[in-house]
Amino acid sequence: MTDRLLDGRSIGKRYGGVVALDGVDIQLQRGEILGLVGPNGAGKTTLVDVITGAQSLDVGELRLNGVLLTGPPSKRARSGLARTFQHPQLAADLSVAENLLLGRAAIRMSSPWKTITGAVAGVLHPRPKEDRQAVENLAAEVNITDLDRPAGELSLGEQRLVEVGRALGQNPTIMLLDEPFAGADAVGIAGIIEAVRIVQRRGNGVIVVDHNVDLVSELVDRVMLLHLGHVAFDGPPAECLASTEMQVVYFGTGADHGA
Amino acid sequence: MRIANEYKSGAVSVVGAVLLIVWVGSNAYRQDLFTLAATYALIGLGVYLPYVLGGSLALAYNAYAAVGAYAVGLVSSKTGLPVALGWLAGPVVAATIAVVLGMATRRLSGFYLAAVTLLFSTAFGTWLIDTDWIGSSGGIGGIRPLGLFGWQPTRYQFVVLSALVVLIIAFLVDRLRMSPWGVVLRTARSVPLAVESAGARVPTLNLVVLAIGAGIASLGGSLFATSVHGITPETFTLTIVFLSLFMPLIGGIGTPWGAVLGAVIIVELTLNFSAFSSSGTLILSLGVLVILMVAPRGVLGYIDTVRKRLMPDASAQDGVR
Repeated sequence: MTDRLLDGRSIGKRYGGVVALDGVDIQLQRGEILGLVGPNGAGKTTLVDVITGAQSLDVGELRLNGVLLTGPPSKRARSGLARTFQHPQLAADLSVAENLLLGRAAIRMSSPWKTITGAVAGVLHPRPKEDRQAVENLAAEVNITDLDRPAGELSLGEQRLVEVGRALGQNPTIMLLDEPFAGADAVGIAGIIEAVRIVQRRGNGVIVVDHNVDLVSELVDRVMLLHLGHVAFDGPPAECLASTEMQVVYFGTGADHGA
Repeated sequence: MRIANEYKSGAVSVVGAVLLIVWVGSNAYRQDLFTLAATYALIGLGVYLPYVLGGSLALAYNAYAAVGAYAVGLVSSKTGLPVALGWLAGPVVAATIAVVLGMATRRLSGFYLAAVTLLFSTAFGTWLIDTDWIGSSGGIGGIRPLGLFGWQPTRYQFVVLSALVVLIIAFLVDRLRMSPWGVVLRTARSVPLAVESAGARVPTLNLVVLAIGAGIASLGGSLFATSVHGITPETFTLTIVFLSLFMPLIGGIGTPWGAVLGAVIIVELTLNFSAFSSSGTLILSLGVLVILMVAPRGVLGYIDTVRKRLMPDASAQDGVR
């Protein structure tokens, strides 16, 4: 029980008449990397949104380290969740360094009082040395070299890498990456994988969303295949790739597997 | 690194302020112009944090300036306490009003927020006119001069004091802008979801920013009332709100010093263009249009561009990557 980081039971979510998630169970263990795969519209991003609080869930419950996970995204972030977005959410006019700093800076503003004292601290020490050091370390860890460029000038792949760095900077218990590899080059992919490994080495968990099973199968310990809001498969990547469910979900047929 | 560059605008502003003070000299009209520019600058700085950095269109800044002015007036007329206490009470009251108004309008944004807060400003102005204990339409006159621990500044010393207040506030706002706190605020302007997902509550942040902005704007009111020894409900109309929105645009939105420069330019264009003294607003409108056509990033942004063009070395150094 103590090794279970995330425990989601019977999660359901509808958008009007569309069922986005229906009776989804999701578990994540300490040090585990879970691949959340499925074709477009399977409910992957909705599941990430529901876990992080960007969307409310209609039915079911989520627990982080045994504690019920509720409230706005900010509260869940403070209890240990960090995420990236399918469409990168970076401040385009801020530098890469400033975007990376957000992961450290926002979490300090955990209450109205700390938002006020944070402003006072900001006036007294606008550029804390430890923040600059932490951002430089973070950048080095995930292969980001150009810290002074405005984030808006980055390619999509570079933006994703900065988002992953920002999430890593929150030192998360669970890091949720929504299609991190889309548009990433070799440097970016290496950086993202390193970020995932760092979180894993700290004994924390990672959920990687991708529609490409082959791509994530080398990285992840377990694959959860979503299809039309249901869990179609949950197990080791190799078994998933060979499974009938995989054939059905992606090719609409399981016939060539003789099932 | 840009560490040295970060304080360049501030250093230039100090030099500019000293030159202006020398220019003002003992000329009473110029002294009035200067304190008016300082008043505008403080209101502009109050607007800068929520409007430029936070992207909030809450626009009740004339009301906050009036609060600062009336705080000074009431301390002077109703109590025997030093006028300086009004300078302390004003920001507290203005910040409180901003928080209450911010909570009431927290579900609004953009145009709707602007409309509702302007409505509040108008209602507040009407309330000032209709309320007897604050002097109704006549306002409060005969405000005692500022005294600090027995020292009473002369007219000229008050000009220097106004400059100091503006420079210090702009310096502090600039430090806040570049701090981790400022990074969170500036990120929340364009991608609030990212800020929420990183652990900060955006609505709370907005309330704190509005409170700080209101407090700074109210200092502008306090300065004005102290300077002219009076305040009426008509002193801070909606015009000042519109002017304050243009101050950072004219001066440059990159740093709060742009708002200060914008305030000086606005006062110069509206009041000190003696050739067309009767049509200050017209001159202002034309001036603003010309400035924004020539320099879409404001005067400071324009200077920055020119500097980089003339000195490619400087831009290369800026771009150490």
